Amino acid sequence: MNTGALLAAHGVARRFGSHVALESTDLEVHGGEAVALVGPNGAGKSTLLAILAGALEPSDGTVERAEGVRAGWMPQRPAHYGRLSPRQNLDVFAQLERAGDPDELLSRLELPTDDRPAATLSVGNRQRLDLAISLLPDPQVLLLDEPTAALDPRQRRRLWETARGVRDAGGAVVLVTQNLEDLEHVADRVVALLDGKVIFDGPVASYLTSEAAGALR
Amino acid sequence: MRPVWLILRKDLLVLWRSPALLGVLIAYPLVIALLIGLTAAYANAKPRVAFVDLDGIPHVVTVGGASFNIDHLINDVAKNVEIVRMSQGDAKSQLASGRVAAVVTVPQGFIADLKGLVSSPHLTLATGSGGITPRVRQQMQALVYNLNLKLQKAFIQADIEYVNLLLHGGKGRVLGHDFSIIGLDGTKRLLEQTPDSPQRKKVLDFVGDARLALALTNNAIRATASPIVLDEEKGEGRTSLLSAQVQAYGLAITITFLGLLLAAGALAAERDENAIGRLVRGLVGLGQLVVAKIGLAVTVALGVGFAILVGFGVAVEVGGVHGGEPWQRIPLVLVGVLFAGAAVGAVGALVGALARESRTASLVGVLVVLPVIFIGLIPKGIVPVAAWVSDVFPFVHAVRFFASALYDRSPWETIAREAAWLIGLTAVFGAIARLSVRRLAT
Repeated sequence: MNTGALLAAHGVARRFGSHVALESTDLEVHGGEAVALVGPNGAGKSTLLAILAGALEPSDGTVERAEGVRAGWMPQRPAHYGRLSPRQNLDVFAQLERAGDPDELLSRLELPTDDRPAATLSVGNRQRLDLAISLLPDPQVLLLDEPTAALDPRQRRRLWETARGVRDAGGAVVLVTQNLEDLEHVADRVVALLDGKVIFDGPVASYLTSEAAGALR
Repeated sequence: MRPVWLILRKDLLVLWRSPALLGVLIAYPLVIALLIGLTAAYANAKPRVAFVDLDGIPHVVTVGGASFNIDHLINDVAKNVEIVRMSQGDAKSQLASGRVAAVVTVPQGFIADLKGLVSSPHLTLATGSGGITPRVRQQMQALVYNLNLKLQKAFIQADIEYVNLLLHGGKGRVLGHDFSIIGLDGTKRLLEQTPDSPQRKKVLDFVGDARLALALTNNAIRATASPIVLDEEKGEGRTSLLSAQVQAYGLAITITFLGLLLAAGALAAERDENAIGRLVRGLVGLGQLVVAKIGLAVTVALGVGFAILVGFGVAVEVGGVHGGEPWQRIPLVLVGVLFAGAAVGAVGALVGALARESRTASLVGVLVVLPVIFIGLIPKGIVPVAAWVSDVFPFVHAVRFFASALYDRSPWETIAREAAWLIGLTAVFGAIARLSVRRLAT
């Protein structure tokens, strides 16, 4: 990658049968940058994020990641094993990632340390468990899909701190959000999508006064 | 292979933390195996056969001086069928509807022919159509054979009495007519009272030869009636519940159920739990995921298979039955369990990939397993097509492998052939599962 971007999507598109979820899209994410993907439900935000994470194959186009860059992905829906405890989930993914310290993450994100199955935890705790799994590889690129949707204010602040920590260390953050507070506290740049197409790409301040923001309200 | 091992270990941990699920998964196929065993036993038991008596057979019939209670005689020899007396009309209707498998008719004049001891009386057998007919025909032939065995003693006795009449003279009765003859003894006595002559000497010689020959007739008649006599010894074989086939079927049914459902459910659950997205981001390849699920089926099959083998071995020892090598052959059977577990695991992985979510996978798994098992139970001789279809699924090959490994004196040819089948099926179903598993990641 010769643009200096940590992550770049070139003409990525995704179709599910005859339905076009994401039209051909280009996006570059650079170090020290936090990008918010915004738009109404069904705009293609989560699809684009999953493609950037490598969790979903694009129908067209390619995704490039700078050599040696570690990425962490937190999807919108819980993505862990419900019958295993948080500790066991972190152990499984730490071994698969060959990285991470489950004890440190359990403590940092204040996750339950008992043997309860993850499926019995509150939605907020499950969301934090997903965040912990995404942080296992000590990511330089952090991809978060509506990460604050079920968090209480305290946990929301912790998440913003974590995201800013990645960005400030020279990494990049891409987060899907419907929450204006996320834009204020984390994002530098907004990419707005509507019906699978990018309709705005620019700084947060410009977005807030743009026609795109008005259209999306 | 590290990711495969890690996913397998995770699945075993999930299973360990789901004891109710594990218990049901183990108990259910065992119950099915038991039910199939009972059904098979029922199938081998007594088909209903209508008995139509057009001759009004009395309860007791005297033939050649011996009395027979006909009801007792029929019940005695009809061990493999359930004889039900009914009218000719009922019998015809029930045969048409399949409620009876055959109709045995005693025609008018049967008892008269039987008592006459001159010509053989006839019974008429009418059978339905379908798979059970050859078996019913055999059982009715066996019934007539056993009736003949019982009656032949009376017939032989009557024949011997006729011979004795020829030898010693006396009174007799044939076809309702009484008669009195002097016999060879009387003939000799009369001849000895006549004047000596060459003709008298020749007749006396003939009488002597005839007496000697007829004296040997007794045994000859018995031998003619039964050229070969089957003496039945008290059996020392296994009870049906411990037979090789039941063990092989029990093992194969359990492994097929467990392996297929576990592999299907575990693969589909990766999508249900939304974990597949994390895994395919370079942590675990889709092929490795399929191999891990096949590995899960193999691991559980080996554990449960070993427990079943030990259970059967203990039952065989406690029962003091002979035949087979319940302990020595366990390692060989476990090799078969490994191959069988892999093959059903591959089928399960395919089901899981196609079903995409675990509830559907479980339902489809059961829908697939039952016909695969039942089609493997149909004897080739009855429906050849069923045998060809069952050949493309692992169940029947597992049964043959286990039965041969457990009890054949020289099992190598069979187990090599069946192992090759199981390995081939694993490769084919595994490859299709690998192609299909992409559906989970979309």
